Amino acid sequence: MIAKSVLNSFKAIVGDNDYWDQPSDLVLYSFDSSVEDPVLPDLVVRPETTEEVAAICRLCSEHDIPLITRGSGTNLAGSTIPVAGGCIILMTRMNRILEINTDDMYAVVQPGVITAEFAEAVQQAGLFYPPDPGSQKMSTIGGNIAENAGGLRGLKYGVTKDYVMGATFCDMAGNIVKAGGKTVKLCTGFNLTGLLSQSEGQLGVITECILKLVPPSKAHKAMLVSFDDMIDAGNTVSGIIRSHVLPATMELMDNFTIRTVHEATGADMPIDATALLLLEVDGHPAVVEEEYAIVQRICAENNGKITVAETAAERESLWEGRRKALSSLARLRPTLVLEDVTVPRTKIPDFLKALDEIKTRHDLVIGTFGHAGDGNLHPTILCDKRDEAEMERVHAAVADMFAAALEMGGTCSGEHGIGLAKQSFMVDEVGQGTINYMKSIKAGVDPKNLLNPHKQAL
Amino acid sequence: MNQNNLSQCIADLKALEEMLIQCSRCGTCQSVCPLYKKDLNESTVARGKIFLIEALAQGKLERADEIYEYLDYCILCGRCKTNCPSGVATDEIFLKSKAIIRQVKKLPLWQKTILKTAMGNPQLLAALSPLFHIGLRLGNKKIDDGIFKAGALLSPMLGDMADRHIADMPSKALTKLYGGFNQAKDEKQRVIFYPGCATTLIYVHWGIAMIETLLHYGVSVYVPETNNCCGIPSATMGELELYREQVGKNFDYFDSIEDADTILMCCPTCEYGLGSLAEKETGRQKNKRVMDIVVFMAEVLNVQLEHKIELTGSSSLHVPCHYNGAKAPILQKFIANNFITDFKPLKNQSCCGFGGTFSLKNYPHTRELGKKKATEIKERGFSQLFTACPGCAMNLTDANLTAGNYLKATHPVVEIYEKRIKPQRN
Repeated sequence: MIAKSVLNSFKAIVGDNDYWDQPSDLVLYSFDSSVEDPVLPDLVVRPETTEEVAAICRLCSEHDIPLITRGSGTNLAGSTIPVAGGCIILMTRMNRILEINTDDMYAVVQPGVITAEFAEAVQQAGLFYPPDPGSQKMSTIGGNIAENAGGLRGLKYGVTKDYVMGATFCDMAGNIVKAGGKTVKLCTGFNLTGLLSQSEGQLGVITECILKLVPPSKAHKAMLVSFDDMIDAGNTVSGIIRSHVLPATMELMDNFTIRTVHEATGADMPIDATALLLLEVDGHPAVVEEEYAIVQRICAENNGKITVAETAAERESLWEGRRKALSSLARLRPTLVLEDVTVPRTKIPDFLKALDEIKTRHDLVIGTFGHAGDGNLHPTILCDKRDEAEMERVHAAVADMFAAALEMGGTCSGEHGIGLAKQSFMVDEVGQGTINYMKSIKAGVDPKNLLNPHKQAL
Repeated sequence: MNQNNLSQCIADLKALEEMLIQCSRCGTCQSVCPLYKKDLNESTVARGKIFLIEALAQGKLERADEIYEYLDYCILCGRCKTNCPSGVATDEIFLKSKAIIRQVKKLPLWQKTILKTAMGNPQLLAALSPLFHIGLRLGNKKIDDGIFKAGALLSPMLGDMADRHIADMPSKALTKLYGGFNQAKDEKQRVIFYPGCATTLIYVHWGIAMIETLLHYGVSVYVPETNNCCGIPSATMGELELYREQVGKNFDYFDSIEDADTILMCCPTCEYGLGSLAEKETGRQKNKRVMDIVVFMAEVLNVQLEHKIELTGSSSLHVPCHYNGAKAPILQKFIANNFITDFKPLKNQSCCGFGGTFSLKNYPHTRELGKKKATEIKERGFSQLFTACPGCAMNLTDANLTAGNYLKATHPVVEIYEKRIKPQRN
């Protein structure tokens, strides 16, 4: 129970309109996009300035109140669920793009800026911000950094952490900390920017971000390649990369997903194919043609049938089919458990084989699609959270998936983060020594463990 | 609060479980909800509202009245439903939940009065319209041709709305002028024209233009003697019973006309209100095809003026929320086929903010959304704004005048009638 006087101090910082402590409001911040159980916070505040954030941090610290940073609340690992109660600090009002510098190719934004809106603004300015997580239309940049969000362009362009040049954040002592900066090279002190990426709000509250921008590619060519055999698809992926071609995107869909998308949307898809790759090469027009020739050869060697998108409309409909994968699957059953297990990309055929066995062993419906180019797959389990027996099988299957991935040198999370959902798997993956080291860092900057506690095994 | 009523309310909400559980809380609704984009608050967006209903149904929350207020803060634009990856029937969930929570949260008196007298008794409303007309002329400030500011006289009744630009209410309702069968000279076919409240009582000139245009093209038109409300205002106020009743009256009327199998509408919200939701709620079928007047003109009559109407300045189009995706391109093509104009689509394709009863209850929020539209129109210097909904037209006219754009939103069929058909007759 937080004393009334303390609650009033929070209200004094942000004002009446950005403060909530009644059950009907608290319940709205008890959940995120994960399937983890909701937990009520004690209060919700929505600051508008770095100074207000620092004041909130100090107040929480003074009264031992857990502080959980939340953007759009779209993460898939329970990272924003206030498991120990406390204060939700909502960053949605800090949503201004402060600068897009086309000469030095960086942007300064507040953490509540919506990813897709930022990418659009950058494009208008003639540059390119590549990270495109599936939730980009609603996710915030701050959340993307805290979760190190990925997307379809990981192989060639990297993920969010590769675009964070710097950030301003507040710690629990109320310090305003500057990490990184606007220069390409920067060697001042610890690489705090790196530490902040995928910290899941456990090391500070980000209030400003400096992001790297790149020139957009001049040309692109998108194609759909269908296969009768999953091994051929896997070999095509590794063959292309072995030939030193880095497609901007290289997406895989299994037969179940292909059929589901076709049935749900009527999209023109090769429904008899065992697997398909959606692939796009980009860059200078000459390079695009040269790389396309290589891709053509490798697909032919691996029995892949290529259909090239000749017009902008065809390209759009090709990617529309991929974008509709998750939603088409989602309509089949009430609950959807979306995993993001990742293996070295050459292991994709092995992993898909293991996945088939897991599916049969636990009697579950699983559709698989994902980012084949970077080994990041999205096995999507379709179930009903009200069916306890089925959910037990789901949990067992997830555990088996991660065990299989670990054996192949992979990871339990490529882009969704650990949060509450994958804590035990993370310990298996990195070992207790790593957890101990992370704990030491955390204890140093947040001795009372108030910043988003009980996440990532901390 | 009555505990028995609350228990009943919880039991009734549980019946919605199959619909509620479809929501995966992915948050896609945040990216399309006009109110969320403005307020950035989970209580304003579908996934938050669905979570609140679930929490109430599970007995985790008790303040059903507070939850009603949150559910009621919704324009019912339908974007969350159209864009939901999981196919959640958000509109149905919200309307049903509101009707259920009505057991513990009674309708405020003024809303009840509006529903019972105005919507529930259309003859009375039509009969009173000359009085409104006189009242408006006496008590208000004339801003532009046929547009008034309600002003101080009506402010006790209208609250924030007193500041609003409202259209002059003509002395005769459309149904008084055209109610019954209107025979075309060289009759080619017969249709029913369901005008809806706004066109019957306020945008009467739209109705006149549409009916006269149909007659001009050899289409005989049945117009109801009394326009029974489509029922959407009742549904949005949580009065589903009254909604079903109003739908039933309209279906009775449609059934009574045996020699017309097409019902034309010019209000997309009426079309929505009398569409699949109505059939689901009443268990009745219309057995006639329902079409928007523009779609009928474009696709059935193939209207394409030989000499297009030339417009000065550039023009744009506001697509009404309930004008579903497939119809929007037809509307745009219809404009291109009949007008010579420098047409550019609006960047802001969101809601105008009106939402009928939403605007009555939340005018300041309506104004904020309308202002966004008006700002773009002003900045890009459009001199003509088309739309296909009298509600949107009223609201956008208000928003534009407030922003100092002297531009009235208009309907393409009305423009064709006013600029081509009517002058030819005289």
